[in-house]
Amino acid sequence: MRSGVLLRLYIAAVFVFVFAPIVTSMVFSVNSDRFPTVPLGHFTWDWYRTAFARPEVWTAIQNSLIVAACAATLSTLIGFATAYTDYRYGFRFKTAYLALALLPPTIPVVIMGLAMLAWLGRLGLSGTLTGIVIAHTVMAAPFAMAICRLRLNQMDAALEPAAWNLGATQWRAMRAVVIPFCAPALVSAFCLTAAVSFDEFIVAWFVSGLNKTVPVMILEILQGNVDPQINAIGTLVFLTSMTLVIAAQLLIIRRSST
Amino acid sequence: MTAPLVRLEGVKKSYGDSVAVKGIDLAIGRGEFIAIMGPSGCGKTTTLRMLAGLETPTEGTVTIDGKVMNDVPVHARDTPLVWQSLALFPFLNVAQNVEFGLKMRGVPAKERRQKVATWLDRLGLSDFARRRVDQLSGGQRQRVALARSLVTEPPILLLDEPLSALDAHLVIRMQGVLTKLQRELGITFVYVTHSQSEAFAMADRVVIMGHGEIAQIGRPREIFRAPRNRFVAEFVGRNNILSGTVSGGAIDLGPITVPLPGAADGPAEIVVAADRMKISREAPAAPALAADFVSEEFAGTGIICYFEGPGGEELKAQVSEDELEALDPAPGARFYLTWAPESAHVMTGQS
Repeated sequence: MRSGVLLRLYIAAVFVFVFAPIVTSMVFSVNSDRFPTVPLGHFTWDWYRTAFARPEVWTAIQNSLIVAACAATLSTLIGFATAYTDYRYGFRFKTAYLALALLPPTIPVVIMGLAMLAWLGRLGLSGTLTGIVIAHTVMAAPFAMAICRLRLNQMDAALEPAAWNLGATQWRAMRAVVIPFCAPALVSAFCLTAAVSFDEFIVAWFVSGLNKTVPVMILEILQGNVDPQINAIGTLVFLTSMTLVIAAQLLIIRRSST
Repeated sequence: MTAPLVRLEGVKKSYGDSVAVKGIDLAIGRGEFIAIMGPSGCGKTTTLRMLAGLETPTEGTVTIDGKVMNDVPVHARDTPLVWQSLALFPFLNVAQNVEFGLKMRGVPAKERRQKVATWLDRLGLSDFARRRVDQLSGGQRQRVALARSLVTEPPILLLDEPLSALDAHLVIRMQGVLTKLQRELGITFVYVTHSQSEAFAMADRVVIMGHGEIAQIGRPREIFRAPRNRFVAEFVGRNNILSGTVSGGAIDLGPITVPLPGAADGPAEIVVAADRMKISREAPAAPALAADFVSEEFAGTGIICYFEGPGGEELKAQVSEDELEALDPAPGARFYLTWAPESAHVMTGQS
């Protein structure tokens, strides 16, 4: 009994620790005071109004959404293809192949950012949205691969041959069996990689140039002055990412029950 | 037999250095129910997969309906397989699962619906058409798998241990369903199993495989009563295998010599089935093997008694419950085992 109570308290403390900064930011985004002080002033939507009255905020949101959508689509495609290759084929150096495919998240992001800047600069893509999409795809594809791999491992090894046996060509079986079976994982991977891209700051900061994404723009505003508009924008970014991540999680939970 | 539907000629399959199938010849007739049986790793599943085109023979030819199939890809064959795991599509309902093969073959929607309805009805699945497959019982899933494979009306159905995941009472019921279906459709069934009760109960002919080779082909009774070699005798039924030397119509088994009319002179191995062994407490007039009782095993149709023979070998005899009660054997008790000369079968094949 006693340990049960302690455990609950401990878990509560962990959650408070994790979420307190975000909740604080949310609270101050609707607080009338210019500076984050206690006691609070009165409730207001003013900071949202002023923040979203700025055209550059809208441009940044638009950029972020385009980049997230493209990067998520590409990551999911690449991630699925990589995972399927691992599932379907046995070949020499498979371990090396997997290690390479899963490597990007282990590279320090600053190094990744620098490398991307140098590389994309050579391709004439630095400062373009395409450049950010490429960088984010590199970073997010391994997550998509991990999710797809998880799902493929749950697939009965006979399922695909069963489709061939019933007259489906390899491509047809892919469309009619493998993709439908993996559908929840694909959507989940899309949501998660979109969230990765939407939140990503460092590499985007290196690569983006004038085409700023939301996190990059937040830093620029922050460098100018501390303004509760940041809280307002931050709250929206947080809610967007959380929605995507929760969607991804729900799909994972739902699919493991089948 | 008219021209066989399936012909395997010198079919061999190896993976690198390991040989799964060592070169087999087999002809399977139209409308025949054939069971391929053997211990795990004997090559029976590989043989089946070669018929379906899921494996390509390393050597030899597979002919179906007069056509060499070696290079025909899986999807272009009409050799549906009922998988051990059933491999039903979990994201499709029962009717969609059954429809799958028709859809892949480009059958028009109207015809598809008709055929699906016919087959669902035939296998008693009409009430479950819209159910998800994971909401079905084991027996129902089995029937979905059968309907899905048979809906294209193939000349042959391949079955890879389809009943191995079912409860014992369901196995018996599904055996009934399968034999009835096979007889009504008149198509060829190739049934791979490690269970001799399944193979002997359903098949017209049984193929015993061991170590990648065919050990014996024959009708169930033939294989049961006249195993060709030691491998078959040990794998099938409950047999006593005795070796000795034949001379002048009798076999010298070491401790005793028993008549063996018609046998050629020389070393020989004979098989006496457990249910042909007679047990007595007193030494009979005829030559008998003296053996010490070890244990008994209830085997449904009777009781198998195990003995230790004169050379330390294991001997078995099947008795009824009443007989067992009359004998009332205690471990170590001495008994005498005899058999009628005509019950002994001489094995001719090499193991």
